[in-house]
Amino acid sequence: MAAQQPASIGSPYLTEGTPTVHDYTGVINISGKREGFVYFTAPRAMLTVLLMKMQENDFSHETMRDLVGEVANTISGNARRDFGRDFVISVPSVLAGERPEIPQKPGARSFVIPINWRSHSAKLIVSLT
Amino acid sequence: MNVAGADRNRQLVTVGIGAMLTLVMSAVLILGFRLATQMRASVTGLQTASMLQTYPDAISQQLNSLRDRLEARAYAGQALADLKVTVKRFDHELEQLGAGGYLQSAELDQALLLWHQYTPVVEPVVNFTGQAYVDSDDAGSAFSKEGRAHYADVKRAQLFATENARRLQQQLATVATTLQQTSSDGAARLRTLLLSGVLAALVLAGAAAYFQFTRARHERAAKEAQDQTRDILKTVREGFFLLDADYNIGSVWSEALTRMFSRQDFAGLGFEDLLKGLVPPTTLSTAMKYIKLLWGERAHENLMKSINPLGQLEITMDNGHGGKETRYLQFDFHRVMGPKGIKHVLCAVGDITSSVLLAKELQESQESANAQLDMMLGMMHVDPLQLNSFLDSTETGLQLINAILKEPARADSEFRKKLNGLFRELHSIKGEASALNLMSIAHRVHSLEDMVSELKKKAELSGNDFLPMVLKLDDLMAHLRGVREMASRLTALKDTAPAAAAVTAAATVAPARAAKQAAAHEQRSQQGRSGDDLSPTLHSMAERLAHDHRKRFKLTINGFAEVPGSYIATVKDCVIQMLRNSAVHGIEASDIRKAHTKDDVGAVRVDFRRSGDGYELVFEDDGAGISPDALKAAAVRKQIITEQEAAGMDTRAAMALIFRPGFSTQEEVSMDAGRGVGMDVVARSVYALGGKIGVSTNPGKFTRFKIVLPAAEAPSSTAVA
Repeated sequence: MAAQQPASIGSPYLTEGTPTVHDYTGVINISGKREGFVYFTAPRAMLTVLLMKMQENDFSHETMRDLVGEVANTISGNARRDFGRDFVISVPSVLAGERPEIPQKPGARSFVIPINWRSHSAKLIVSLT
Repeated sequence: MNVAGADRNRQLVTVGIGAMLTLVMSAVLILGFRLATQMRASVTGLQTASMLQTYPDAISQQLNSLRDRLEARAYAGQALADLKVTVKRFDHELEQLGAGGYLQSAELDQALLLWHQYTPVVEPVVNFTGQAYVDSDDAGSAFSKEGRAHYADVKRAQLFATENARRLQQQLATVATTLQQTSSDGAARLRTLLLSGVLAALVLAGAAAYFQFTRARHERAAKEAQDQTRDILKTVREGFFLLDADYNIGSVWSEALTRMFSRQDFAGLGFEDLLKGLVPPTTLSTAMKYIKLLWGERAHENLMKSINPLGQLEITMDNGHGGKETRYLQFDFHRVMGPKGIKHVLCAVGDITSSVLLAKELQESQESANAQLDMMLGMMHVDPLQLNSFLDSTETGLQLINAILKEPARADSEFRKKLNGLFRELHSIKGEASALNLMSIAHRVHSLEDMVSELKKKAELSGNDFLPMVLKLDDLMAHLRGVREMASRLTALKDTAPAAAAVTAAATVAPARAAKQAAAHEQRSQQGRSGDDLSPTLHSMAERLAHDHRKRFKLTINGFAEVPGSYIATVKDCVIQMLRNSAVHGIEASDIRKAHTKDDVGAVRVDFRRSGDGYELVFEDDGAGISPDALKAAAVRKQIITEQEAAGMDTRAAMALIFRPGFSTQEEVSMDAGRGVGMDVVARSVYALGGKIGVSTNPGKFTRFKIVLPAAEAPSSTAVA
């Protein structure tokens, strides 16, 4: 990240049903050996600070979407590198504002990994069956 | 392996044929040159001899002419001069013929001899230099004195020549014939020589051509074999190569190696270098020792195969996309024997990743099936209501654990704060699971507890450290769901069995009684839980504890029917923890008990009774009791209190230490004790209900816990520990 302050991983936990998300969410669809989704979701405030740190002056809705998409893309790229053999990993799509309409099996659990950066907190949600 | 030998042979044959050809041609040339020289000499001799044949006649004629002139007193000077020249030339040529050495024949010797007889006769004639005539006026020209002598010489010479000219000529003709014969013999020999030279050259050329042809055929076959070998090595799925005595890979290897090791430079590569970086150093050194052993001829091949350390080698390598992947390779070694012992070691490498993974999956599914079966068998001994109550409270416990995890944390202290809470909850769940003998759950919780203990030891905690725990928690939740499903199936099975039996009974023997039984069963189901339900669980737990810790004791439970529904969970938790404490710390081993003149079977007693408005639970064992000093020492060791604090503590305060979080006198962590949360959980549960707990002990005699609980309010279904 552009900032000097490194991000850290918060306390991970489990969540049932459709996970709660922040303002912007990048979604990667995973299929193959295991199926499901990986979300990267972040609040507008965090993305704004991030954009400022990147010397970006455009804080429009589109830029926010692009930024979240870019992060999700990086995650997708890493996943493809590490698990590409057994999984088919999609190009990320971005959801803004709305709650993800993601089909979740009843009782399915997702792993939530909070990502803390400065005073902000984003989440990486892994939901695989 | 014979290629080098065949090559050497072919070279030898090539060199041999070349040398032979050179020798034959040299011999032909030398002999031909000598023969030609001889022939040239013969021809020259023949020419001379032919010319010489005309000389005897010429000499004879010239002598006649000289005599005629002398008799006619004519001028004889010219005739004499001609004769002189002829004789001189003949003499010279004949000497030449003799000295030339072309011919050693009797005829030539005879001709020479005869000519030597000529010489004294002809010599005076040709040497005459005087005046043959004397002119006088009266007589005209007449012989002078010397003229007469000269004339006489001429006459004698002419007579000799007339007699011998023919013989000399014949002898010279014979010489010429001989020379001609010699020369034609030489020509024939030269022809023969040339012919045989050409023949020999032809034969050698034929041999060379044949040799070349077979060589080309061999080369073609070798090339074909080479092509086939290359095709095999290119296509085969196994990696093949040969190792030499220095453990280096040979120049020929199969293409599959490239895929397996992601490299190309195999030729000449050391076996150690091939594996370096892919396997741990210990495995590498074992593998190298094994390879060294392979070169020792004494070790039996089958034996060697059985101790192959590279039979299933796990290697981690780049997956080509920047990531890492794990592969399983199987190395197989075969000795290649030569005339002088082991020549090479053939190494075959197979990629067995998919079969290894398949085997693992198979094993996992088998283990899970076994575990499920064990689980089911275990569950069959548990009362369904009790099981449901356990599952409910466990689920609540796990949700609590997840809630603890969910609390945001950034700093080490915040993470550390979670650990104690996690520990208490896990320990409580484990205790219940062990009591019900649901070991698959107990083991899972135990391993989670281990994780928490490990984290406690870590200097700096972060969210990363909790990730494995969350995975385990998810696994445990999934497992719990499986157990619940199985439990509901078992309940369904149990419910249908007596009902079916009841129907049959009603139809045949005693309808009224059967109906009563069914009604009683129904009533019991509806009634909900009673404290009596706890007794079997506690007894079976006591048995397991006694077995696990090699102790002998008898558990007596009284008054549990009195336990109100809302206290059941707490009472159960408390008794389980205390029972475990007794089994681990309290009750001594039989031999020690005997030495202390105690009954070798220990006694543990649990009494529940009404007391005033509330209830009273007394738990007592006749074990070793608790030594306040031992408690203090353990607390100091665990840094719960300082030594100063310990010194200032009275017995009462020391005894209260056992209710402190994280306290245990047990050094070794087991399923039942040593975590130091047991009595802490008990005390917390009691306080949560508004109760009190106290402990009294007499070292060497007994330990007694007394729990006082207030009157129960409206019954609630579950109680959270």
